[in-house]
Amino acid sequence: MNDMRKKSCIAMLLAGGQGSRLGLLTKVVAKPAVPFGGKYRIIDFPLSNCANSGIDVVGVLTQYQPLELNRYIGSGAPWDLDLTNGGVFVLPPYMKAKSGEWYRGTANAIHQNVSFIEQYDPDYVLVLSGDHIYKMDYNKMLASHIETGADITIAVRPVPWEVASSFGIMNVDPENTIVEFEEKPKLPKSNLASMGVYIFTWPVLKSYLDKDACDPASKNDFGKNVIPAMLHDRLKLKAYAFDGYWKDVGTIESLWEANMDLLKIPPEFNLSDARWPIYARSPVLPPHFIGQRASIEHSMIAEGCEVNGTVRKSVLFYGVEVEKDALVEDSVIMPYARIEAGAVVRRAIVAENCVVSAGCVVGEANGDIALVGQDTALPEGCRVLAGEQVDRLDVARRRHDAK
Amino acid sequence: MKDIMGIIFTTKDDLSLRELTSARAVAALPVAGRYRIVDFVLSNLVNSGARNVGVIMQRNYHSLMDHLGSGKEWDLHTRNNGLFILPPFLTQENGGEYAGVLDGLRANFDYLRRSRQELAIVTGSNMVFNMSFEPMIRQHEKTGADITMLYTKVRASNMELGSAQKHAHAFLNVAEDGRVVDMEVNPNAASYNNISMNVLLVKRTLLIHLVDGATAHGAHDLDRDLLQPSIKCCSLKVYGYEFDGYCRPVETIRGYFRCNMDLLDLGVRRELFKTMPVYTKIRDEVPAIYRSGNSVKNSLVADGCVIEGSVENCVLFRGVRIGRGSSVKNSIIMQDSNIEEFVELENVILDKAVTIRSHGRLIGQMQYPIVIGKNVTL
Repeated sequence: MNDMRKKSCIAMLLAGGQGSRLGLLTKVVAKPAVPFGGKYRIIDFPLSNCANSGIDVVGVLTQYQPLELNRYIGSGAPWDLDLTNGGVFVLPPYMKAKSGEWYRGTANAIHQNVSFIEQYDPDYVLVLSGDHIYKMDYNKMLASHIETGADITIAVRPVPWEVASSFGIMNVDPENTIVEFEEKPKLPKSNLASMGVYIFTWPVLKSYLDKDACDPASKNDFGKNVIPAMLHDRLKLKAYAFDGYWKDVGTIESLWEANMDLLKIPPEFNLSDARWPIYARSPVLPPHFIGQRASIEHSMIAEGCEVNGTVRKSVLFYGVEVEKDALVEDSVIMPYARIEAGAVVRRAIVAENCVVSAGCVVGEANGDIALVGQDTALPEGCRVLAGEQVDRLDVARRRHDAK
Repeated sequence: MKDIMGIIFTTKDDLSLRELTSARAVAALPVAGRYRIVDFVLSNLVNSGARNVGVIMQRNYHSLMDHLGSGKEWDLHTRNNGLFILPPFLTQENGGEYAGVLDGLRANFDYLRRSRQELAIVTGSNMVFNMSFEPMIRQHEKTGADITMLYTKVRASNMELGSAQKHAHAFLNVAEDGRVVDMEVNPNAASYNNISMNVLLVKRTLLIHLVDGATAHGAHDLDRDLLQPSIKCCSLKVYGYEFDGYCRPVETIRGYFRCNMDLLDLGVRRELFKTMPVYTKIRDEVPAIYRSGNSVKNSLVADGCVIEGSVENCVLFRGVRIGRGSSVKNSIIMQDSNIEEFVELENVILDKAVTIRSHGRLIGQMQYPIVIGKNVTL
């Protein structure tokens, strides 16, 4: 007998991946901790969705660069997940009696935390990833899972056919039963992409995780091993169609695009929806200030900014400074970065705490997205070309070469 | 860090703020785009190491309680100590109505006795400033004072002491060694330019003793009935501690207006927000959106605003909407107010959730801004 109250459904959030396609942005932080939309982090979306769906036990599986993520999640208070009965729990890999090991794959990460899950004696387990921007009522999906009596329900979203080959594609029959799953197929037979949101009936998942753990050839991955095994055994796999905004922000381009989507009129993705608020850990900062000579066009600006230059079609995170005669255009400027007098930033992402010194030119009007990595101070007059990524080490190297 | 507790008194001085304080205590008055006035002194206490803060309330305290909540944002939701909300209550000895600070303290003796801290800071709640009390505490200990009073020099920039000012202010004559040798309460023409900031530091047990003695003799007023006589007959060692940073009391509409406008100055913003953090209740708002057609100059803008019109020399609180073609100048627009299209506003203060319908026009005077009360639609 334990003193935990039984929960019908708990969530497990896979937050351990590196997100290597985000390049320098995830050099020192895990992907779910990457800033988004002026004041949020990617993980705010699944966490807020859980809070709004009434799912009040969330295990966050961390492994890669967890410091920032741990600090950000804290007690879970911003998402109302600091509860006596439940809450948010950061679950790093740990040593057991005989051995201890890193999470080897998504399925292995859940398998190593079976005892965490069983404390709550859940009927269902919701498995989420920290890679996407979306607002979704998991409860509706759970209701559909229960109604269809499925063993596993996978949320799917139609994507444009021309990009379908870069997703995990579900082929379904007319009853929405999944008949085939193909990871990044060259010739997709359907355009229903897996959203990385799964609901499993817990006893079924547990037995498959146990089986998977005994197979030395397995990569211990949901997409590669566990789901194909379930399909092979003819379990009941259902697709749950979702048609709201959903964006994978796994690359520099898509992260930039998703930020730009917030500026469209009406916004392609509405963050200020009182019925479905997105919570975030708020910084302690005053409102932002717009100076006498500033000019702002079509932008989003967060608290604590000081703007004295020109900002066009851009997202400024909290604490950003744009000095006079500086230009920021089509760009995303992350927390506490400073764009000094006369600097020009176009089509770029400038990460946290960067300094773009006077006379620097970052990015180009019609090029790929340029990236300045966290804590980088670009020296005066420095150029960062379209599509280029620079960080502190590059700056040091450039200095060295110049000598 | 010293063992201090804070006692915030929130009932005085809410008479000249017209509609703004008809439904709220002055401590709960929104200021600087996202704060309430009490946030400043409360953050000062917390930043100076206070882990036990009592807030004595009297009238109109609903919005203040709503704002302070569990004290979470100030890290005062702890198992030991924390934030204590002290509303008035009726018992045989206690009438529920406080005629002065002394009555409020007397009514909360239980709380004062139960607290364990050595020193207490008793403060009002209508002063906007950012300061650590630690140097004041050091001076208090060095001088061996019974009471240390915080004061500042009267400056044109921080006080409105014209003839319209009818509020109880105390002025101090402070000797070279810091000792307060004379105190004038609410004079018509003050002899000294050291104005009390209504913050005093005293040993907790001494405070209980002094308040007990004074109230037993029918006294109510802290300044007149306790401090002034103690200074006059030298029965207590009262010292002054000078604060020389930015500070503004909010007690008139004009003072309130100036206080907000001061924040358009970089130096004031730095002093108020960069020295130590100012904590306030969190509201989950999206960053401000600037749509095409906007023109914003010299203004402070909070999260949640959507701006399509032109804004100059303004403070916009959270969730304000400025519609297409509208022009807003020298104004303070509080939370969730909605300025529709082609509206013209100048020198106005709009309280929370005011709607100005399209083509509306309101022009006030710099010296006497127009105030529109909460939830009004024009």
